[in-house]
Amino acid sequence: MGRPGFVLEVDERTPPLLVHEGEAFRLQKFPLGTRVIYPPDSLPAIKNVRGAIRHALANPCDSEPLAELLKPGMKLTIAFDDLSLPLPTMKSPDVRQLILEEVIELAARKGVEDLKLFAANGLHRRMTADELEHTVGERVFRSFYPKDLANHDAEDHDNLAYVGKTDKGEDVEINKRVAESDLLVYANINLTTMDGGHKSVPTGLTSYRSIRSHHNVHTLLHSRSVMDPRPGRSALHDSCARIDKALKDNGLRVFTIETTLDNEIFPNPFGFMNKREWEWSVKDQAAYLAAKKVNDMSPSKARHQIWMRIRSPYGVTGVNAGSTDAVHERTLARLHEQQLVEVNGQSDVLVIGVPFIGPYDVNSIMNPILVHCLGLGYLFNMYRNKPIVRPGGVVILFHPVPWEFHQVHHPSYVDFFEEVLAESTDPATIEARWEQRYATDPWYIHLYRNSYAYHGVHPFYMWYWGAYALDYVGGVIIVGGDPKACARMGYRAASSFRDALEMAGETVGRSPSISYLHLPPFEIADVR
Amino acid sequence: MAKKKPKLADEIREVAKGWRWGHRPVVPRSAQPHTPPPERWSFPTDWARTEAAGAVRDIVLDLGLRPIIWNETSPEVFGRDNLDGVKAPVMFIANHTSHLDASIIMTTLPKKWRDKTATAAAKDYFFDVWWRSAFTALVYAGFPVERGGGERATHKAKELIRDGWSIVVFPEGTRSPDGWVQRFRHGAARLALDMDMPVVPIAIVGAYAAMPRGRGWPKPGRPPIRVYYGRPLHPREGESHQELSLRMQHALAELFDEDRTSWWEAQQRAARNETPKLTGPSGPQWLRTWEGSRPIQRRGKPPAWK
Repeated sequence: MGRPGFVLEVDERTPPLLVHEGEAFRLQKFPLGTRVIYPPDSLPAIKNVRGAIRHALANPCDSEPLAELLKPGMKLTIAFDDLSLPLPTMKSPDVRQLILEEVIELAARKGVEDLKLFAANGLHRRMTADELEHTVGERVFRSFYPKDLANHDAEDHDNLAYVGKTDKGEDVEINKRVAESDLLVYANINLTTMDGGHKSVPTGLTSYRSIRSHHNVHTLLHSRSVMDPRPGRSALHDSCARIDKALKDNGLRVFTIETTLDNEIFPNPFGFMNKREWEWSVKDQAAYLAAKKVNDMSPSKARHQIWMRIRSPYGVTGVNAGSTDAVHERTLARLHEQQLVEVNGQSDVLVIGVPFIGPYDVNSIMNPILVHCLGLGYLFNMYRNKPIVRPGGVVILFHPVPWEFHQVHHPSYVDFFEEVLAESTDPATIEARWEQRYATDPWYIHLYRNSYAYHGVHPFYMWYWGAYALDYVGGVIIVGGDPKACARMGYRAASSFRDALEMAGETVGRSPSISYLHLPPFEIADVR
Repeated sequence: MAKKKPKLADEIREVAKGWRWGHRPVVPRSAQPHTPPPERWSFPTDWARTEAAGAVRDIVLDLGLRPIIWNETSPEVFGRDNLDGVKAPVMFIANHTSHLDASIIMTTLPKKWRDKTATAAAKDYFFDVWWRSAFTALVYAGFPVERGGGERATHKAKELIRDGWSIVVFPEGTRSPDGWVQRFRHGAARLALDMDMPVVPIAIVGAYAAMPRGRGWPKPGRPPIRVYYGRPLHPREGESHQELSLRMQHALAELFDEDRTSWWEAQQRAARNETPKLTGPSGPQWLRTWEGSRPIQRRGKPPAWK
């Protein structure tokens, strides 16, 4: 049994603490009294993952065993989470590969012939053949690609089915093949409590028309927190649940398979990053010094390659299968066990080291908009009940925020940054004035469908993810950030943490209470 | 904004400071309930009992420690002849009031004994960081002992005794806080009984006054220190460890009495069972410390002009 997470209070015995800052990291001294929120240690990983999958398929929650649902002549579709999960990419074999192999094995034995597989990428970029192969494994890839293994295309209107509206008027449009299938098997990786459950299908296999009903400023402003999918807490999840219900009312049968992972994010020689600093051995300290020096000295391209090649040695801590609700309840319980940390009260300042990777820059570049999304959209939201920072408090992020974009993956981001943010940073204004144009731009649609570009509307969503945080906090300061890029987004850049605290003092006073959310590995602060 | 990259030397300095290189590692207070005790890893010490290490030890003791101690204090040694005819291995026990004690024993033991004598040292103090561990192992032929007692505490000692090594043990377990002899822990007596080995008492008089707990160097003025080697005590048939432990304390007390008066008087008092106890005066702590730290009288010929 791993140790639970806890809140450290920095005292004179505390060594400097590790802070991530994009594709770099540093040791940072924090003022005495700073609260540092540490995630729990890794839960014990399942040794026989294949056995656990087989057991879950044969003994599902609130459903017949999968073998009984598979029949000759049926139309079976298998969908799986795309490359945005897990983060970083999992070391081979990916748990999705193991799930797919077990499900396909069962289907073959039961005489299923009409079988198609989709990466549920929603409005994300298409996965390349290599990325697909890494996710599903060589055997599945060789058997199904490219004819029966594909990326979901949210702009292929010939292959989308309009199902109708939810009782709240949300459009429901889904991949036609999925809608026509006798059974959809969905295999996911639940990295955080935000993922999975009713959110998987309504975001991964639908269209812009459908996704816009929950990915909008109003919904995201009322999602407190997106990491708390209980009804009434997150408008986003409530909307997804309604869409999922509409799909199921319309005859879609889903067999959900969800998995949870432990906290083993960093492989050696970065293993020290998984540990609490005062427990670093001499070897860990040497590894830190060596890794830091090599990282700092490397040219930016080489450094980028090093980070992008990290494959996490994640262990699987849970596999559950069956009906979406019953499965997700178990998944959330396991995730809470792995990630929940009790925190007493809010603080004036929240400090976060933004790591090198987010869901939308896998094998890509974390551009300034993605820094905004990761910092204020996701990491700020790593809480239950109340945000870690008080209303009007200050968020201090560590990241260099380079003015850099991946021209293939993020073409609409470039224009969004140059055109939209130059005029306004207000999410509601942006949504009203520009979203439609970007979402329906034929060039962006062409790139989304035929190249490897994120959908034209995607940067808007990234900006909306941070809408609640922007509305809630009194200021955002980025330590080490490119001043121009930060200014474009309405943030202030500080050259050092000391300067950032000095600047924060203008908003929260001279001796603010400070909380440092120590991640990755990921954690959720249960703020009381 | 031009980003200044930190130099490697600065980084190393920061890590060295943050992780207290060369010092005992500490855990932030609020993290203590969440931090498991450090792994039970023992610094390897077998290398320190090789011939090569023994040669280095001779150099360090004879050319380093001994000149320093003899320069900074005025030691006198009595009763080494009690070791004549005694067969190794033996257990040397001594009162423990100062960091000087082990050094004094190692520098006053006859060479043929010292070559085959190892010192038991508390693992949590002397074997916590590498440099202290290496120093203890090399200079005192030290080996780690866990203070908790039990089989794990004596395992290494037994191994050494079987190999013919005599060992130095401070049965009080730690240095006296006030100069007086504290309660003997029974581990030493148990070990002597288990291994059926003679126990040689050593009384070190004046070390507390010369360099008490908290001092890193002897007091100025070459304070006198007197070391008495006593006669070996042999475990008796059917003797309990409590009884042997008591005999050990009595033997030590006799040596102190001998220092205070004379060998003859001490023998007479011992025969009458009137040897003064070493536990010090009853009363407040300050009184015990006050009495315990009283400088011992210098001996020697009176100055010619008196």
